[in-house]
Amino acid sequence: MVSDTVSAARAELTKIATLRGVRLLTGVIVGLHVLMLAQNVSAETEAVSKITADGMIERFPGIVRPAREALVEYLATSSFQMCLFLPCIAAVIAGQEFRAGQLGTSLLAVPRRGLLIGAKTLAAGGFLLSVAAVIAAISTAFMYVTVKGWNPGLPVSADAWIAQAKFLTYAVLSGLITFAITMVARSTLVGILITAVLTVLTMSQIPAAFTPALDALVPLSAGRNLILVPEESLRLSAGPGHAMVVLVTWPLLATVTAAVALGRRDAR
Amino acid sequence: MIEAVRLTKRYGKKPAVDDVSFTVRPGRITGFLGPNGAGKSTTLRMLLGLDHPDDGTALIAGQRYRDLRHPLRTVGALLDGAGPVPERRGIDHLVWMAQSNRIPRRRAHEVLELVGLTGAARQRVKGYSLGMGQRLGIAAALLGDPEILVLDEPVNGLDPDGIRWVRNFLREYAASGRTVLLSSHLMAETAGTADDAIVIAGGRIVAHGSLDDISAGHESLESAFFALTAERGGRGGW
Repeated sequence: MVSDTVSAARAELTKIATLRGVRLLTGVIVGLHVLMLAQNVSAETEAVSKITADGMIERFPGIVRPAREALVEYLATSSFQMCLFLPCIAAVIAGQEFRAGQLGTSLLAVPRRGLLIGAKTLAAGGFLLSVAAVIAAISTAFMYVTVKGWNPGLPVSADAWIAQAKFLTYAVLSGLITFAITMVARSTLVGILITAVLTVLTMSQIPAAFTPALDALVPLSAGRNLILVPEESLRLSAGPGHAMVVLVTWPLLATVTAAVALGRRDAR
Repeated sequence: MIEAVRLTKRYGKKPAVDDVSFTVRPGRITGFLGPNGAGKSTTLRMLLGLDHPDDGTALIAGQRYRDLRHPLRTVGALLDGAGPVPERRGIDHLVWMAQSNRIPRRRAHEVLELVGLTGAARQRVKGYSLGMGQRLGIAAALLGDPEILVLDEPVNGLDPDGIRWVRNFLREYAASGRTVLLSSHLMAETAGTADDAIVIAGGRIVAHGSLDDISAGHESLESAFFALTAERGGRGGW
């Protein structure tokens, strides 16, 4: 069973890696990340050069915070903003199955639906993790350029590793939510649209206007609750523990739904 | 050996396949004949676990398709509606299929050579002609060197050389004791290739036996086919 899962997951990874759309989209997202960080380098470097003797930084006008905490958070959030785009890769990966009869071929090769979904989820999760790791590495490199004159060890400090680990966790789990939704909807476009709606729910703060508990259940809000540090100007809707539960539950439920749907429907 | 027992599939209240039973024996090529919409593809899809039957069972080598551990090593299938993503290269399509069933990578190159697609291996499938796409489908079916072949219209889009190659290949395949189920609506082609035939019309089996038995009393397999299918809604003309 384990060897069957490994070979099926390996085949799924090959499917992902040999799809031009996935490679193009990944390249665009990584390029966009580099571009956005490059634009901020001079402003951030200037802010770092003005860190006070007691270790305070003013990254935004009027907001003075402990430099180490603010810069570690910046490291994570600079990667986190790419999570708006990473689910698109997941949608393209899942959506390929529903083009040109690919699902039929996949089921001829791996007819056990549960095994197929498991292998697909493992492969998609692995690919998303590798892309997220590249994004995290780029953020780390830019952070080093920014802080090398003040504290060159900061980008690889324990706090930085923890922040990056939270980002990687969110990047993979949020991607898997979109992946499973796309598998259920059987359409890349619908997968992206549903993800966009969930994102807008957090951005617009509509659920938060009713109750923070409702907002805390939305994936992007949970990601924000996991990665960001609460402060005076930033109120979060739940703690990191709650966020992890939400972020694990969403892909779990969505994947089980996708497996049930794949098992019950004909492969058309 | 392929065995279908009382297979039934309905779309709404309309039966697409109705109580279909047949056996396909090893060492022979069995033609699966029927007009468009007769239920050929649906039957094959149920046989291969792609569609769920409402009733009945389909067994391949004594097991349901989905219970085969490495199905591509037992059954090779070419089905309409089960193909590669057009943006993927031909070789990549075969490599992922091989990996999924623990088939050595070199086998992908071997089957491409067998069907004459070595030169187009690194070309994207969307650039393939209809015949090249069909050859890639046949290569995928042969990937696991299976004991059983299930082919839906395999000569569709092939040039005369390709058609002759498929015919000779299938004859040799069956002669080596393997099982071939060949769906087609080309009577002359089937008559020149198959040993047995199953005729389906309106979702029901209307004849099953050796080609000689089915054609007996008729001018040709084609006349027998029209006589058999006319009673169950087969089209008599344009």
